[in-house]
Amino acid sequence: MSPGAVAVTPGLSSFLKSLKSTPVEPSIEHFISYSSPIQEPHTQQLTSHSLLKRRQIRNSRPCALATTALLLRVVGEFKGRDAAKLVERIRQVGRRLTSAQPREVVVGNIVRRVLGLIREVVDEKLDEDANANSDFGNNSESQSQSQTQTQHDSLHRPTLASSISTFSPLKYAALEPMDSSFPSENMSDSGELTKRPPLLTSHTSTAAPLVNSLFGLFSQPDTPSTSNTPTGHQSPDSKSMVTALNLERLADFTKTNFDLKAEVMDGIRELQDELDQVDDQIAANALDHIHSNEIILTHTASTSVQTFLLAAARKRKFTVVHCETFPHDHTATHGVLLTGKESDGHADDAEEAWKPLTAAGIQVVMIPDSHVFAIMSRVNKVILATHTVLANGGLVAAAGAHMIAKAAKVHQTPVVVVSGVYKLSPVYPFDIQELIEYGDAGSVVPYEDGDFVDKVDVENPLYDYVPADLVDLYITNLGGHAPSYLYRIVADHYRSEDINL
Amino acid sequence: MSKTTEGEAVQPPAEKIAEGDLKPQTESKVEAGVEDKKPQAAETDRAPKLSAAELKKRKQAEKQARRAQAKGAGPSTSGPPTQQKGPAARDGPKQQKDAKQPAKEGQSRPLPARRRPSQSEVPVLEKAKKEVKKETKQQGLFFGHLYNQPRQHSMVGASKDVHPAVLALGLQYSSYVVCGSTARMVSMLLAFKAVIETYQTPVGTSLARHLTSHHLSPQIDYLRSCRPLSISMGNAIRWLKDIIIKIDPSTPEAQAKRDLLSEIDNFILQRITAADELIAETAAKKIEEGDVILTYASSSIVEKTLLRAHNAGVKFSVIVVDSKPLFEGKRLARDLANHGLKVKYLLITGASHAVRDASKVFLGAHAMMSNGRLYSRVGTALVSMLANDHSLPVIVLCESVKFTERVALDSIVGNEVAPADELLSESERKDLLPLKPFLPKSVTARADEKDKSEGGEEAKDSPEDVLKWIVDSPNLQMLQVLYDVTPAEYINMVITEYGSLPPSSVPVVHRLSTNI
Repeated sequence: MSPGAVAVTPGLSSFLKSLKSTPVEPSIEHFISYSSPIQEPHTQQLTSHSLLKRRQIRNSRPCALATTALLLRVVGEFKGRDAAKLVERIRQVGRRLTSAQPREVVVGNIVRRVLGLIREVVDEKLDEDANANSDFGNNSESQSQSQTQTQHDSLHRPTLASSISTFSPLKYAALEPMDSSFPSENMSDSGELTKRPPLLTSHTSTAAPLVNSLFGLFSQPDTPSTSNTPTGHQSPDSKSMVTALNLERLADFTKTNFDLKAEVMDGIRELQDELDQVDDQIAANALDHIHSNEIILTHTASTSVQTFLLAAARKRKFTVVHCETFPHDHTATHGVLLTGKESDGHADDAEEAWKPLTAAGIQVVMIPDSHVFAIMSRVNKVILATHTVLANGGLVAAAGAHMIAKAAKVHQTPVVVVSGVYKLSPVYPFDIQELIEYGDAGSVVPYEDGDFVDKVDVENPLYDYVPADLVDLYITNLGGHAPSYLYRIVADHYRSEDINL
Repeated sequence: MSKTTEGEAVQPPAEKIAEGDLKPQTESKVEAGVEDKKPQAAETDRAPKLSAAELKKRKQAEKQARRAQAKGAGPSTSGPPTQQKGPAARDGPKQQKDAKQPAKEGQSRPLPARRRPSQSEVPVLEKAKKEVKKETKQQGLFFGHLYNQPRQHSMVGASKDVHPAVLALGLQYSSYVVCGSTARMVSMLLAFKAVIETYQTPVGTSLARHLTSHHLSPQIDYLRSCRPLSISMGNAIRWLKDIIIKIDPSTPEAQAKRDLLSEIDNFILQRITAADELIAETAAKKIEEGDVILTYASSSIVEKTLLRAHNAGVKFSVIVVDSKPLFEGKRLARDLANHGLKVKYLLITGASHAVRDASKVFLGAHAMMSNGRLYSRVGTALVSMLANDHSLPVIVLCESVKFTERVALDSIVGNEVAPADELLSESERKDLLPLKPFLPKSVTARADEKDKSEGGEEAKDSPEDVLKWIVDSPNLQMLQVLYDVTPAEYINMVITEYGSLPPSSVPVVHRLSTNI
């Protein structure tokens, strides 16, 4: 936006660099102010918060990268071994980040993933401990029971294995808004409970609603949260408190040898790896979906889509029709077509040589967006890039995506959405308008036309919401999915406790 | 400068480009080579059968070549003529292929595009072939059949018979100064009035016989070379020819000319001015208090309607959806705002958002097809599709003079392509300049080479370079067509001077209006 006199344009790469170079010493408070200049507006450092707000880091991938890097630091700088505090800490950072830019849903997604990660680590540890000291009565029984339950239910669960926490049928319900009477009750409940000694807690909370009686004591603290909280409106406090329960107990174990921080950081690094590899993983599916001599229509500048097409181009010849997505993404689009790289204007990521599609021998035809309908009758497949995928199978993508998808539907052309799982958000779009960001009207009508802008209300929506029924297929790094299946993947990746940050 | 010398001057770079193009495709060379021989054989087999059609094509090609040559002889510099000449000189082989198609295509009407990939891989055996290959790159996708004629952007090379008024008009057409089918038709008729006024029948012929074929047709040809004729223009020309033929040869020339001029005036008055009034009156009644009228691009008749409703005191607002590269809607939005209307302006990518707020859609037309489809500015189909999806009434305002007996199923068979370099505006090109270090080396190398050969040392970062990059990028092309066809089911009503009708009644009205 305002490159100004600063040598480096603030952006993702400069942010990541500054993260690297900051010494480990600075306190957490400092670090947070790092991430939120609102409280300390005079700090001169680049902050992801302001970067987000000023849209200097924008679009899903940069946001995801910045958030993971930031959280890695937050965890790294975290002092102490109390998992509950760490959860609360991350949640706090997450809340700040998401409130800075609520429409970059990916930031929230990553925060939720990290929170889930911590819970996962804790649960795992608890299970281990439970297995180790089976002094408690029916512990082993419950353990086996819970394990069978897991195996039965979470077949598709990707990586993080744990016993109970992975699945609860109510998680799905938890994604939908239901009566909000439950949570408050529950909250006060658990609020009280926290003050009690752990053992008691587990008993009382079991006695609460419909829970499977005296299920393992150690896994217990988790169950209320999964089964008792059918709403997404569950207040964050209650959940953190609930986890606080098991974490208190955990404190005993941690003192011995359990390194929470290291495990979580490993997890976050895994997440970073996932972000790095996501495009290649998606692209691995390309040959299953593109046949030779196909005419494929796509839009905007998306590295995922480009990688996908390039992967197919290695084996097959086809034609790509590329909408330029004027007025907000056309420069990036032209850039991708010419150089094959989505450049954010950072001169420093030049080390990687990118190949445009055209260099791979693919015919690329660039068309203005208005031509979509005219061309669509000859297009075999539409591949859309996305900003965010929502849990109901709809997506938020660059403006123009809706009309492309609609035109494709009208012409019975299949619409394929290419997206990393990290863009998949547990948000249900009840107010679509809320998700739509409006951009600079100056790119629609140049400022030279001052009188025009004065008289006419110029709008520049940046995103479109595309309902699920216009999409035929999602291709993520986990493979291809029908839009109706996405809720399941959401449930696999986010803990219901974390849905509201 | 003669043609040959210039051709030589141009060739070396072209050759290099072609070679560069081929490099990434070497692996496909062998199989493509096999493919290539077959069509050639087929072509030669077929040649005798099609001689008539071919001759005609060849004649056309020659004509174009002559024109281009005449142009080359003009004062213009190295830039444009090379482009102009390229297609003209190469027209021979290409036209043959085109001529071959209709005969073969009876059974299926497949898209030329399906054949394209192999076409583009044709290995280059001789120099001439190389140039053909470069040519195929420039032709857009399956719109290749529309690229037959390069567009005229100057009056150089125009026939000496062309009247100055027509010359000026032609330039206005090609630069979109006069744009919109009604405006183009009216201005053409007015220019023809000037032509007729200065016309003098040569001795030995009659006005009825001579005027059309010898005096008007060069004008029409010139206009067509500037920009393909609109359907309304075609209709008007047909009408004018009809009138001229019907003139009694015994009428004295002055009288006949006076009659013709008044006929033309009458035509404009009846078919445009009065018709517009009627349409605006009918359509304005459709606008109710609190309506939000959505319109796409710019139509004079829609503007008239909106202003009439506004002046009648109806409170409503307007959403203008527009698209690049012409931004016609900008002028409409400004005019409406100047009249005190509340106007919102979006580009086509925001159309889904615009439709959500709208309550009615008014569209202008380039033409109404006899199968009820609307042929209009590209993007109209998208807007009407979205409006239909939201159950908004889509109302087309169209004078009956724009009705045609032609039918169309899609926007591809019949359309008008525009030069793709219009797509990137000056500022957009400027925005792309920082990409230079990221460009594939082949492209920049070529661009640099050109710079050096032109002697321009450090004139590097001119926005024009961006266009060069695109031209130099193998396999990359831009495509711009001007119209699209909106399916009849998206259109709820067509308002003409004959009244309001469903799109299915278009052919009926067309017959009515042409049989008067």
